[in-house]
Amino acid sequence: MAFWMGRGKALSFETDDVRLHSRPGFYGLYAVSWIALPALAVSLLFSIAHIFNLFTVPAPMLLATTLGLGSAGLWFALSHINANFRARQAVEKVMRGLLFTAAAISILTTIGIVLSVVFESVRFFKVIPIWDFITGTQWQPDTAFLIGAGRTNESVAPPLFGSLPIFAGTFMITLIAMLVAVPIGLFAAIYMSEYASHNARGHLKPMLEILAGIPTVVYGFFAAITISPLIVNIAHTFGLEADYTNALAPGLIMGIMIIPFISSLSDDVIRAVPQSLRDGSLALGTTKAETIRHIVLPAALPGIVSACLLAISRAIGETMIVVMAAGLRPNLTANPLEGMTTVTVKIVEALTGDQEFDSAFTLSAFALGLVLLIATLILNIISIMVVRKFRQQYE
Amino acid sequence: MKKQYAILMAATFLGLAFIGQAEARDQIRIVGSSTVYPFSSYTAETLGSTTKFKTPVVESTGSGGGMKLFCAGNGMNTPDITNASRRMKSTEYKKCQENGVKDITEIVVGYDGIAIAQSKTTAAINLTRKELLLAVAAKVPSKDESVLVNNPYYYWNEINARLPHRKIAIYGPPTSSGTRDAFEDMILKHNTKHWKVYNDAGFKHFHAIRQDGVYIPSGENDNLIVRKLTKDTAALGIFGYSYLAENTDKISAATIEGVAPAPETVQDGSYKLSRSLYFYIKQSHIKKVPGILEYANLFMNERMIGDEGECADIGLIPLPKEMRDHYRSHLKSLVRIKLEDFAKK
Amino acid sequence: MNNSTQPNNFISDEKKLRQKRRERADSRFHWYGLTALGLALAFLVFFFVDIIGQAVPAFYQTEVKVNIHYVEAAKTNYNKAVDHKLRRVVSRAWLRTLPVYLKRHPELIGNNIKQWVPADSRVDQYIKQHNGHGLKSKYQRIVDAMAEEGRIRQVFNIRFFTSGDSKLPENAGIFSAAVGSIFTLLITMLIAVPIGVMTAIYLEEFSEDNHFTRIIEVNINNLAAIPSILYGLLGLAIFINFAGVPRSSALAGGLTLALMTLPIIIIATRAALQSVPSSIREAAFGLGASRWQTTWHHVLPLAMPGILTGSIIGLAQAMGETAPLLIVGMVAYVPDAPDNILEAATVLPAQIYTWAGESLRAYEERTAAAILVLLTVLLSLNGLAVYLRKHFERRW
Repeated sequence: MAFWMGRGKALSFETDDVRLHSRPGFYGLYAVSWIALPALAVSLLFSIAHIFNLFTVPAPMLLATTLGLGSAGLWFALSHINANFRARQAVEKVMRGLLFTAAAISILTTIGIVLSVVFESVRFFKVIPIWDFITGTQWQPDTAFLIGAGRTNESVAPPLFGSLPIFAGTFMITLIAMLVAVPIGLFAAIYMSEYASHNARGHLKPMLEILAGIPTVVYGFFAAITISPLIVNIAHTFGLEADYTNALAPGLIMGIMIIPFISSLSDDVIRAVPQSLRDGSLALGTTKAETIRHIVLPAALPGIVSACLLAISRAIGETMIVVMAAGLRPNLTANPLEGMTTVTVKIVEALTGDQEFDSAFTLSAFALGLVLLIATLILNIISIMVVRKFRQQYE
Repeated sequence: MKKQYAILMAATFLGLAFIGQAEARDQIRIVGSSTVYPFSSYTAETLGSTTKFKTPVVESTGSGGGMKLFCAGNGMNTPDITNASRRMKSTEYKKCQENGVKDITEIVVGYDGIAIAQSKTTAAINLTRKELLLAVAAKVPSKDESVLVNNPYYYWNEINARLPHRKIAIYGPPTSSGTRDAFEDMILKHNTKHWKVYNDAGFKHFHAIRQDGVYIPSGENDNLIVRKLTKDTAALGIFGYSYLAENTDKISAATIEGVAPAPETVQDGSYKLSRSLYFYIKQSHIKKVPGILEYANLFMNERMIGDEGECADIGLIPLPKEMRDHYRSHLKSLVRIKLEDFAKK
Repeated sequence: MNNSTQPNNFISDEKKLRQKRRERADSRFHWYGLTALGLALAFLVFFFVDIIGQAVPAFYQTEVKVNIHYVEAAKTNYNKAVDHKLRRVVSRAWLRTLPVYLKRHPELIGNNIKQWVPADSRVDQYIKQHNGHGLKSKYQRIVDAMAEEGRIRQVFNIRFFTSGDSKLPENAGIFSAAVGSIFTLLITMLIAVPIGVMTAIYLEEFSEDNHFTRIIEVNINNLAAIPSILYGLLGLAIFINFAGVPRSSALAGGLTLALMTLPIIIIATRAALQSVPSSIREAAFGLGASRWQTTWHHVLPLAMPGILTGSIIGLAQAMGETAPLLIVGMVAYVPDAPDNILEAATVLPAQIYTWAGESLRAYEERTAAAILVLLTVLLSLNGLAVYLRKHFERRW
């Protein structure tokens, strides 16, 4: 409405010898921004005040203030509009500001995530020394609630928060996933980029990407209901003992889930390798496979490595598959047929369990979250650095 | 598009501002223990489908998580009822009081038996609580009961020659579970409280469970444990009685000190592995949210928790008749729990 | 490569062998690629066959023909409406609606009607011959006898689509979860798409290349890599504990998912904007258009298909997400569909997770069926994205 009022007022100035400075629409937008921004600011202010419990304004009053300010803004805007008014510049500024605000939200999100994890982690590390947490090999938080209850003097076995077995489980499952995903993903990428026709590639790539589009909870169900028993049965025929919560099933399924991450990214970087390199190599009489192995892959290697790093960070942060199919027992073992647990499983367990909420056990979820955050950030930064280097080579 | 967007943003912020003020709610919110969850949600569903009230929302947050949410305050954002598979702790009560949740009614709805079960194809086994302790504890007394040693037992007949030569393998709940808490209470703490060798070693309530793979924490999904038991016939599983009742075609219970788990043996106390299930009502919400008392009354109705009740069908072990009446009168007069109550325990 | 056709000094047995080995290696390599693709696609097929196989029975529900006694006593105790021995055969979810029904239709009292009613889930599972049906042998005999009399039939399970979650599997459906999913997704869309597109426009079209911009860029890449469960922790801390958004509400879930989807949309939009050639911008500037006019009237329309595709893929991912919702309390028992975004709601993936943990056998097929529904929706969304990409893709 404000838009039409602003535009209409502007148009009314336009005669045969008076030209508007900007297109009429800009005057409209100008009016809109003057009605919306104050209203927005006010409601934002009030909601912040409400959240901090400073004061609460009754809803009708809030509405009235907002509307009042809005119409005041509109009146101000309309009174400003005349033929020489540079509405375009004004609107441009507002838009720029809006866009900037939007961009800043991503920064706020990061800060939010870091803060929400760090605060509680600090509380945890006040109780459990950070060194014990990182290097301890025993995760026995049974007695943690006593600390929360201030009854540490009671002679019981102290709770142990050695997270090494948990990291080991995460590492094992990630390793299995990568053992599945890297060969399959990479060879699929090579095939799609080097061998398949353009048409076939157009069909194959989306089909592979379906794998990444399947919700993880579905994979979890599938791993727990179908794959785990299958592995136990197969292991049994070989005379091996396998737990139903073995690390293999979630690892395999997770590997299948991240195939597209590797194949799609690798496909892109392999195709980005200049055709002249291939032509040169083929002209020297190498076979296609040799060209790919010795020329194309080394050239694309940084991109492939960064794809793998991204896939790893995806795998260690994956939650539902392991929550549903992996075990809960922190287990320091090299046998993938045994049950192992992961960081994400422990986070979910700690936050939904029966323990008291302020106990070190619950807080451990945040400490583990912090570790997860740091690990994925490091992986990501490395992969960004690798990609940068790669770009320098060919541009 | 920009204009619509600006309006939308304004609406969002306005909405955010209103949220805190949305003090009215016509749907009961229940949180708490995963053990009580099946009965609680069943009752909730019955309330929703047979009365004019909306079906209450039940979230399984665990007893501790439930208490935390419940005790956070009196606002409409906090739950009205929390379920627990253990009694509210005095620390939790104090926290409630601090946050202004003054008047709380405590109701016991029934028992949860903990069954030690095995595959139906396996020969029956009778265990004592002490034998179970020796099988699962991280540290056990040496043969001459002089010192505590790391648990050396891997076969049942090593614990007691009477028992079969069978590998010890026990699937049980994980650390976070209320069933595990209860199991630790009843098997470990109960036995070690007055056991000299534990007391000498400085342990009054020893309850660390061994972590060498003999005891296998298996998640809250007791169904998976049942499945594992049918495959791993040597193993035992620890879980709620309801799962035993549900799967009598596949698994059978080990007897504890000669008594098999059954509603009767739990009620008369001869089966030792059982605990009470609770729910707590926030009295300040009764006037604000419609249906809380109706829900509680329905839950306490004979039709639900009676001997032939529908909750009994899905695994709840009913209270004895006089206890049911006792707690019904509790509910009727909305008895408040007081700090002194915790001392009595 | 085909120099062997020309006779020269390099023709020797040794050379032929080497050549052969190299050619074999070449074709082997080719086959590796094919095998890898084949394995991935074979898994896809296996996966879908398995899920569909498990899901199909859920779309059928067993009904039994029994005598219903419309008696006065059934108004207070609905168990009185059927013969005692059939109490576990007839669905309790149906039985308990009787008192209300009777009060509305008092004229039925005193009648004895033979009619088809839904069967208990154990009977249903027994008829479907699933392992672990849980029907006691006493009732098995009754059901067998009824089957012989033709008093058992299977009908399409419409309830699966019209009712919400239930503790009685025969009554359980995905309706409330679907409504919750729609609410949640709407909020995610309304928040994430505009902010994401605006951020991308700012970064691509407006910002100078300064320190701050670079920080934002790196940061967005980082955000895309952060595990989703951490977004749950964020949502719990900021939206629920701090801003007071009701726990379990579609708003809390939608906001959390919006933050999670944001980086995906930003990255996709930037790619789409980048693919618009700069000659278009230069031409617009040359005609005196401002930055905003250039972007709004020329760049954005050209980048639209790419933006749409990226947004759809991002939203599809948000729709399948469970882990962060576990933390903000959306994995709960919510049988009634929510009326607004502040009410407790659950979403399809959360419903799948809840059912996967239920003990009754009948939930297993319902889990698979819910998965099938979810996958159908997600695949159509992804298919739409692929179609848009293909249809509007422009090469410059």
